[in-house]
Amino acid sequence: MFTSFFKAFTNLFRKPQTIDYPLTPIPKDKDYRGLIEYREESCIYCLKCEKACPPGAILFVKSDNPSQNEKNKKGLVYNYNPYLCIYCSECVRACPKPDEALWQSNKKPEIAIKSDNVNSKWFELEKLK
Amino acid sequence: MKKTINIPLGSQHISLLEPVRFKFECENEKIVGVDSDVGFVHRGIEKACTTKFKYDGIGYVVARVCGLCAITHSLSYTVAIEELLNIEVTSKAKYLRILLLELDRIHSHMLCLSHTCENAGFEAMFMRIMGDRELIMEIQELLTGNRIQFDYINIGGVNRDINLEVATKIVNNLDRVKEKVMGYVDEFTNNWSLSLKFKRIGALSLDDAYKFNAIGPLARASGLNIDVRNEIKYLPYHEIGFKMQTHIDGDINARNIVRLNEILNSIEMCDNILAGIPEGEIQTKYKGKPNGESVVRFEAPRGELMYYVKANGTAMLERVRIKTPTFASIPAFSHIFMGENYADAPAILASFDPCLSCTAK
Repeated sequence: MFTSFFKAFTNLFRKPQTIDYPLTPIPKDKDYRGLIEYREESCIYCLKCEKACPPGAILFVKSDNPSQNEKNKKGLVYNYNPYLCIYCSECVRACPKPDEALWQSNKKPEIAIKSDNVNSKWFELEKLK
Repeated sequence: MKKTINIPLGSQHISLLEPVRFKFECENEKIVGVDSDVGFVHRGIEKACTTKFKYDGIGYVVARVCGLCAITHSLSYTVAIEELLNIEVTSKAKYLRILLLELDRIHSHMLCLSHTCENAGFEAMFMRIMGDRELIMEIQELLTGNRIQFDYINIGGVNRDINLEVATKIVNNLDRVKEKVMGYVDEFTNNWSLSLKFKRIGALSLDDAYKFNAIGPLARASGLNIDVRNEIKYLPYHEIGFKMQTHIDGDINARNIVRLNEILNSIEMCDNILAGIPEGEIQTKYKGKPNGESVVRFEAPRGELMYYVKANGTAMLERVRIKTPTFASIPAFSHIFMGENYADAPAILASFDPCLSCTAK
């Protein structure tokens, strides 16, 4: 009984196990799985990432004003849906130039709200494929 | 005149983590008949695997069957495909696979134990175990990049290598968890709300466990020596100190004790893996499309998980059949409820650690 009283008393001075979230940021490791990032200049347009992606979150769609990359002979534009992505990094492993053209960061996607029309914009792109 | 009344438990109930409905036929307080319905969270994953996704992406789809045993699902599917493609995985990748499998078992058992405490009305213990479970979640996140949906295993190996910093953190955290679990063993053996109150409640005899095809901790608590880890040759469990944990009582307390002993054994296995992890590649390259049939069994935290895969030489599979542990244990569950008090039903149900997302898939 004495020990339980002692424990209850000491508990008053212990720090909580939880984080005071909005005021204290959540600790983040550099290897946490986050958004896939892309650099257009280094891309060789092999489309391996598009084929490897399990949920189909990467789409290369034909565009009227494509980039001036000389490897881009078909006039394609890279599209990425962070809300469909499962962050498995299969695309990065499939990429012939990982870390230069395609890599995984530890950033989170921005929260999308209804007026952003994330889904309908993506469905339009899928129709172009 | 009818002497019994029907009382439902679920599909939404304060003691349930996932939707399941039991219809109890009660005579005064005693349960004399049980009817169950488990299909509330059906998502058609087996069908999606054969119509929507190619064979190399299905490992990530089946991981979404269940949050708690995600790694066992993706591992079972991957091993089935590796058998069809004749891929020999490196021994380092095998050890890393066991490491995550055992970490997953630890956090799943801790969740079950905390839930048992909550159903016993011991909220403080529930909070304590859930708080300590974060130590395991933290190392899972360091190792794989995610807390729950690991996506760690791919065909031919694993996705990420382990480095010294992560290994040290895992060893430190496992030491802390071990200390805390020893404290739980004391609580679950001597505390009245967690041990004596649960003695002889929801008991399953050895003969009944055998007759009703009980698996996992439910069967081991009744003294049935059944564990897939002891039977498979694919993963080197015999090298890392696997010990079968059994009990003879078969009641709720026995199941809790079996789970606690399994956590301690898993911690020991993880330590052994990290002490002697071999050098080498984590990925084997492969070519071709799967053709033929294969059946793979693994020990999920709740019991035996079986995958049957049939492929026809194309990228789309012909059949993926998933037999989950909770589904196989339902006859045993229904038998245990017979003759018990209705008031004990939530505590008995929590002790089974049912996973309805797995069952309904």
